[in-house]
Amino acid sequence: MNSGGLLLITGSILSATVAFIWLAWRIGKTPSLKDAKGNPTQALEGAAREDVEHIFNDEFREELRNRGRLHFEKIIGENAIFLQQDLRQTTTQLNDYMRSEITRTLQQEFKKYEQSITDAKQLALDSIEKTITTIEQQRGFLQQQLATQSEAQKAQIISRFEVEMASIINHYILRAIGNQIDLSDQLDYILTELEANKKAIIEDIKRGT
Amino acid sequence: MELRLPTSVVGPGEINRLLRELAALDDFFLSAAARAAGTPLPPPRVTFMLEQAARDNKFNLLEEAHRDELKTRLQSVLERAPVVHISLAAEPSPRITDAILSWLRANIHPNILVVIGLQPTIAAGAELRTGNQIFDMSLRTHLQKQEGYLVKLIEGAVSGRR
Repeated sequence: MNSGGLLLITGSILSATVAFIWLAWRIGKTPSLKDAKGNPTQALEGAAREDVEHIFNDEFREELRNRGRLHFEKIIGENAIFLQQDLRQTTTQLNDYMRSEITRTLQQEFKKYEQSITDAKQLALDSIEKTITTIEQQRGFLQQQLATQSEAQKAQIISRFEVEMASIINHYILRAIGNQIDLSDQLDYILTELEANKKAIIEDIKRGT
Repeated sequence: MELRLPTSVVGPGEINRLLRELAALDDFFLSAAARAAGTPLPPPRVTFMLEQAARDNKFNLLEEAHRDELKTRLQSVLERAPVVHISLAAEPSPRITDAILSWLRANIHPNILVVIGLQPTIAAGAELRTGNQIFDMSLRTHLQKQEGYLVKLIEGAVSGRR
């Protein structure tokens, strides 16, 4: 409830009270003409008092009280309705305020939480990236080392194979042809070889002689 | 005057055989001179090698002086002529021996003597040994020398399959 509503209710109650008092005072203040002793003023006063007593008898007073009570109850009821409306409005506003505050606070907390999660995620991603980079480097290094070793081993095997293969082929040829080649077929080869070594043979024979 | 050795005279063994044959001829003629009249005397058989040597050098084996000269020259050849050893993968036929000997006498020395050996491990070709050196002209050595080329061929084949 706002202050305007309270002031309105308080004002209404005060105005009703003032009106009641003023009515009672006006009624009580009516002048008497003369009293029994010949005092006109006092008589008037007494007459008035009697009239007042006659008019404002107990029933009338009871009626007035009832009216006042009803009016008061009506005012109180109306004000209660106002108060209830204000209270509802206030409750609604309070709810809205609370909702907005809670929402704002929650949003802030959520933002902080989200930021924390983002930071943690970023840290995790950085860590994973570093790990991946390291693993990639290690993998590349190992791959290169493996390829080098493999190439070296392959080259060694091929080299050994080639050398051994050459010896095997030579040995096989020698075994295979054995005595199968007729000396007549070799004659040209022998003479060619002799011709090729002619100079050296002559020199060696001259030295020997 | 140089003695012309026929190709049938290959090495010192043949020279020695000729000398022995000449000595036998001398003995024959000595016996023939000393024999009684009418006593039959079978003449010694002269080998084709001796006949060829005498014919090529224009010696008459019936004359003692010619025989002596031939002996002297053969002895000289035996003492002075260079001797080489040649090993072949198989026993050479006379034609092969004649060809090799002809080449050696035409290109190396006119009276060169050759001792022919057998070495099956060389497969083909020949191995010539002089006094100080060995000339390996065998197929075995030739194949060993060509091993680099064979390795290159194998390398090429391996590279081509990669």
